[in-house]
Amino acid sequence: MTTRIACIFVPMFPLAARLRSEPELLNEAVAIVEGNGAGAHIVAATRRARSKAIKPGLSLAQARSIVPKLIARMRDTECERTAQEALVEVAETFSPRVEDAGEGLVFIDVSGLERHFPSELDLGKAVVRAADDVGLPARCGIAASKLAARVAAEVPNSPTVVEAGKEAEFLAPLPLARLTPALDAATTLHRWGLSSIGDLARLPESEVAARLGAIGRELHYAARGVDPRPLIPRPVPQEFREGMELEWPLVALEPFLFIASSGLDRLSKRMELQGFACKRLELTMMLEPDGFHSRAIDLPAPTRDVKTMLTLLRLDLEKTPPGAPVVGFSLVAHPDRPRRAQLSLFGPAALSPEKLATTIAKLVSMLGEDRVGMPMTVDNHLPDRYAIGDFTPPPPPEMRRGPRNSAGLLAARVFRPPIPVEVTTRPSREHEPGEIQIESIEGEGDLAGTVRTSSGPWHVEQGWWNATPADRAYWDAELMRGKSYRMYRDGERWFVEAGYD
Amino acid sequence: MAAPARSLELQFPLAWSQPQPAAVPDLHPVESPAESPVRDEVQRLRASLQGTAAAKLMNATELLRAIEKSRRDETIPTTLAPFDQLLGGGLPRGKMVELTGRAGAGRFSIVLSSLAAATSMGEAAVLIDLGDHLDPQLAEANGVDLRRLLWIRPKTLKQAVMSAEMIAATGFQLVVLDAGLHPVRGRRVPDAAWVRLARSAEAHGAAMLISTPYPLTGTASEAVVSASQSRARWLGKGKSPRILAGTTSELRLEKHRHQKAGTRATLSPEMLP
Repeated sequence: MTTRIACIFVPMFPLAARLRSEPELLNEAVAIVEGNGAGAHIVAATRRARSKAIKPGLSLAQARSIVPKLIARMRDTECERTAQEALVEVAETFSPRVEDAGEGLVFIDVSGLERHFPSELDLGKAVVRAADDVGLPARCGIAASKLAARVAAEVPNSPTVVEAGKEAEFLAPLPLARLTPALDAATTLHRWGLSSIGDLARLPESEVAARLGAIGRELHYAARGVDPRPLIPRPVPQEFREGMELEWPLVALEPFLFIASSGLDRLSKRMELQGFACKRLELTMMLEPDGFHSRAIDLPAPTRDVKTMLTLLRLDLEKTPPGAPVVGFSLVAHPDRPRRAQLSLFGPAALSPEKLATTIAKLVSMLGEDRVGMPMTVDNHLPDRYAIGDFTPPPPPEMRRGPRNSAGLLAARVFRPPIPVEVTTRPSREHEPGEIQIESIEGEGDLAGTVRTSSGPWHVEQGWWNATPADRAYWDAELMRGKSYRMYRDGERWFVEAGYD
Repeated sequence: MAAPARSLELQFPLAWSQPQPAAVPDLHPVESPAESPVRDEVQRLRASLQGTAAAKLMNATELLRAIEKSRRDETIPTTLAPFDQLLGGGLPRGKMVELTGRAGAGRFSIVLSSLAAATSMGEAAVLIDLGDHLDPQLAEANGVDLRRLLWIRPKTLKQAVMSAEMIAATGFQLVVLDAGLHPVRGRRVPDAAWVRLARSAEAHGAAMLISTPYPLTGTASEAVVSASQSRARWLGKGKSPRILAGTTSELRLEKHRHQKAGTRATLSPEMLP
């Protein structure tokens, strides 16, 4: 089978990446600037700015003299990196074999995809549409080699498909500068009298290599449409990252959350593309004048809900603010597979895992992590021990069933911590000599009064082998007013542990 | 000029244009386009069938509605016979029931029994435990399937009500809010909050039990049951040592929207053997 390579190319990538983060600037006269002070020069400009003769290479001062209201933005490495990641993830929705060539350039191995698309042109259109959906205006070229695909992607009429075996024919009339735009050898070749790629391809390979060395051999391969290096697929990413450098420092929470929400929105869309949800969210803020402030939020269950993640971020920032103005941020989402469940038609209503995860996340942010979850018993003889775990209910039965008959047991309300009380005792008359009966209780509120009947003691002893042993004598006591309690004596002190209710 | 003129004509009828008769509104409800053709086919098929067979025939939409309706009409029994009898079978789905009573009146036994019944049916249930009183070991002994129980421990009544509203919207079929003992933690919440909670239960078909030491929900509840002070029952007489056998308390139906109030029943939970 012939190898087919698709190339996604984003023209003026620094500008496209910036506009992806600030889409409101799309129709303004905006220029992306590189360098500082007098050396600041334009690297890309929007259509509106270009229509007023703002071109790459102009200094910022020159550009401002032409368009005084020109909006200048510095090149943002964070924006460009996240835009490049988004582009790679778009490519991964088509094929797992994707090479990240950087600077708005991605190669996809599309061999075998002809069964999923009516034609390669439709495949190219789908690729362009998918890139548009993540906010990147891309072009696409499809050919049998990486170089031919890249050159095809640079052609304005996107998508461009080069038929298999016709790469050399496609490249031949194009100028030599198309081979590698930033190549010094192009000048040498021009001096030899060569003007097009076809002229170079017609020369003997050994002669070119003898004069230009290894680079000459590579150029000759490229001119014939043969890839000097194969496609190198990138490994599966372990995290998703979005971020931005801000034009001015932010000191208030609301404006920061407004910008962070758009970053979370982009993260959510990228994770959705790959079928992931966020399990852990990390926020790193660049502070003024220097320094970083990082925090991590563990979500109770994987979710892609932007509102939930933003609420958690807000609560965390309100609790521990960064302490200095923020000049940039990066959000890292650690992915996990979202919970899935098949809802039953005839069984009890099952919970939607996505909805449940979102609700639990909100409850945890409101109440605290240790106050929401599944109650768990602990292997222990003391009745006041408990544990709380993640709530992951098993699927409901397929058919509805009736309730099991209740044991009708008397419940006890546990007091955490046990309430200390003063207890008056008297020797037991009915029972063995040396045993006691509880006469009255002196405690706060309802825990006071004469005892009508009591029974006990039941001894519980455990942990004698460790540093916190427990040796308790338990009693049940009913007050004259009708309330019943479970009490225990620990040494000389008495506690009410639970009330029967 | 032609285009603006045309648009003006549309907006303001000119003097020489014919007066249009006022449109008579059609008051008949519009049938859902997704259902009507299917329903016609089902009706034709029903007409061609015999009586009993025709009655059993329904399309998917009717089946889904019937299932949904049957779920709404159902109750979740607590399997405590005296309590279920007072409420006409158990906790009604989509409604809020208030259970009031001071400490020791047997409220927590009813709470655990209702959770045990719901989780044994395979339903997911929630206990919003304002007083932090749940003992998981005792709950498990009472028959509660802890894997299907979400335990929420708010610090104030306001947090408890907010949690209940959030949870009801998630799809839990039984939501129990136990406000603990007197005095309830946190200030009272406005009556409107209870009305909203009742609406939320109705919208999502959740059965809601509010267990409080004194009446809180006002008119929002479908039914109010009060539990009176209990007396302990002891095993052993004369000189033999005593063992607590259980308690006995009286339940009274204070209010019900569809039943006569004032009915009484006796609740006698037993001590864990």
